[in-house]
Amino acid sequence: MPSPQSKILVVDDEAPLRKALRTSLVASGFAVDEARSGEEALDAVRQKSFDLVLLDINMPGLNGFEVCQRIRLLSPQAGIVMVTVKDFEEDKVRALEAGADDYVTKPFRLRELTARLRAVLRRIKPPETVETVRAGDLEIDCVRRILKRNGEEIHLAPKEFDLLAFMMKHMDAPLRHVTLLHAIWGPEYGNELEYLRAYVRILRKKIEKDPSAPEYILTEPWLGYRFRNPSDPDSSPLPRDDD
Amino acid sequence: MTQPHGRSLWKSAQYTLAGGVATGLLTLLCFRLDLGLSVAGPVYLLIVVLQSLTGDFLSAALISGLAAACLDWFFIEPLFTFNIMSPSDALALLSFLLTALVITRLVSRLRVEVRFTKAQKERLDHLYQLSQQLLSLDPEASEETFLEPFRRLFGVTAIATFDGRTGETRTAGSSRNRLAERTRDAYIAGRDSSDGAAGVSVRCLQLGNKVTGAIGFESLVDPEETVGPLAALTSAHLDKTQAFRTASAASAAAQAEVYRSAILDALAHEFKTPLATILAAAGGIREAGSLGPEQMEMADTVESEAERLGRLTSRLLRVARLDREEVRPRLEMLDMHAVVRHMADQYSRRWPDRRISLVEHGEPAEESADPELFRLALSQLLDNACKYSPPGTGIDIELQHDPGGFVVQVSNTGSSIPVSEQRLIFDRFYRGSEAKRHSAGSGLGLYVARKIALAHGGTLYLVPEDAGNPGVTFRLKIPSSPAPAEHAVTAK
Repeated sequence: MPSPQSKILVVDDEAPLRKALRTSLVASGFAVDEARSGEEALDAVRQKSFDLVLLDINMPGLNGFEVCQRIRLLSPQAGIVMVTVKDFEEDKVRALEAGADDYVTKPFRLRELTARLRAVLRRIKPPETVETVRAGDLEIDCVRRILKRNGEEIHLAPKEFDLLAFMMKHMDAPLRHVTLLHAIWGPEYGNELEYLRAYVRILRKKIEKDPSAPEYILTEPWLGYRFRNPSDPDSSPLPRDDD
Repeated sequence: MTQPHGRSLWKSAQYTLAGGVATGLLTLLCFRLDLGLSVAGPVYLLIVVLQSLTGDFLSAALISGLAAACLDWFFIEPLFTFNIMSPSDALALLSFLLTALVITRLVSRLRVEVRFTKAQKERLDHLYQLSQQLLSLDPEASEETFLEPFRRLFGVTAIATFDGRTGETRTAGSSRNRLAERTRDAYIAGRDSSDGAAGVSVRCLQLGNKVTGAIGFESLVDPEETVGPLAALTSAHLDKTQAFRTASAASAAAQAEVYRSAILDALAHEFKTPLATILAAAGGIREAGSLGPEQMEMADTVESEAERLGRLTSRLLRVARLDREEVRPRLEMLDMHAVVRHMADQYSRRWPDRRISLVEHGEPAEESADPELFRLALSQLLDNACKYSPPGTGIDIELQHDPGGFVVQVSNTGSSIPVSEQRLIFDRFYRGSEAKRHSAGSGLGLYVARKIALAHGGTLYLVPEDAGNPGVTFRLKIPSSPAPAEHAVTAK
């Protein structure tokens, strides 16, 4: 339960979806306001402060990306989660570029949505210098540069360590390929996806129980990766099997 | 041909008579006024020039002779005889006669040239007008309308075309000499034909070296001069019309693709929003608490089924998009054995009454493939195998891995694909007779699966049925491609 009650603004032009989300999110412990369009959402953000904005991309009038950019200016501290549709993969990239913290893909389960919302709430708390991060069986010590699984040290090469430490510090956040390449290899990198893929493969072999069904480092199709804590019930659910 | 000849003789006689009368009158005038040879000579020359200008060559020559005779009779001593005393008079008369005849000849030739040039100009004018009218014709207008300008401008009584591509004959006007048949015959023989007596001229229509049809005219003026350009214009016009039709068919197809794409995009949004609402509502019911275990189970069912519908929609849209677009695989190193094993498990759970077995040959190794596309292609094969086999039967998946690449083979028993359909099953939108009876589908599955295989440089084909292989077996082959080298990465 988020406490004190987190305030969320639901922006969607579909009345039935807005209503279902309001009821369900209230039942999940959020305080919910609604906006029917991008324009209404901007008015609401000007008048009141929100912890979170759940923003549909596909709306008449101002579209979700434009609204997202303006909310970022009006209310930089609010977490923004955008609602995308699976078949428009490029929308995810655009959403993050517009300043969104995360996205959910329609249709989504309520649990998946609340997990994403809570993860965003956790991340937007004022950042503190992290020394040690734990996730599942893993524990990474960023100062001494040691990774342990169940207390046993796992040897990592320097770049491998940097990549894993960066992902664990940004637990649950969608990380774009370009973000990771910039952070680990430097700003002159950006297109070298094959480096990233090779390193992720090595990391998965070292930390995952079954590297072909990863639990920690999840692939976000078209976008990048997401580090997940498998023992956190609020963490992003595993990707479902395609039907 | 006697008739026109007689007519021109009669015309010459008329001209000669008129010229004779004029000569008589002038002779009388000059004689009364007592004008000597030096004046009368040029006056007669004037008459000859006028005669040449207005009449024809024959009448002008006759008038020249008559004028010479009159000059001799009335103005050269001794008068009223054809005798000539002085040699200078004889020379004068001779030079008069020669000058008159030369003038006559020259003027007549000039007039023929002028007439010919005029006719030529007229024909060019008509050809120009015809080409203008053909150009301005609406390419979608009916085929017959283009024949009308030919009739109007060239005064033919009938015109016929034969289109070699469609075998159609088109006519305008009424023919008394079987014009349509003659036109078709010329196309079949591949030779031009003309029949002066019937006034019929037929030309083959050519495009490059190929004879594409024929055009025939009845009672065309100057056929030798005109038929060639007319046939060329017709060829060009028909070619233009054909090109227009091809282009408009292509643009209609492109337009249809645009609509299809718009519909797919709309479907993606329109289907998924209600599904999102159902999922949000079902989740809300559960969160509200106070549900009994049975109600909880029902809320779960609503959620999982709505989710399944969402995934099915995604997959359908994905297939529809792959059908439309070029498939560009995003290659990754995949553990094929793990992927295939995982999918076999998934299908075993989904189809509990099929016995799905997996046999693996060779050492497990990684291959580069697009994970999403590979799963999509394989699931297409597994879907088909499950759908078309009766409950209780087995479905065999075989995975063979060697240095050249890997092969996945999916076989089912209890159904077969008729030989007549085997060639067609990979065609876009093809649905076999079994498929139509059995289950719903788009007819895109195998087409897209093969497209995916080809995009990976591989193949997908139906293995022929025989005693050792009863039932239906599809084989998906994907060759090895050089893996992204890891040492290169660490070196950098």
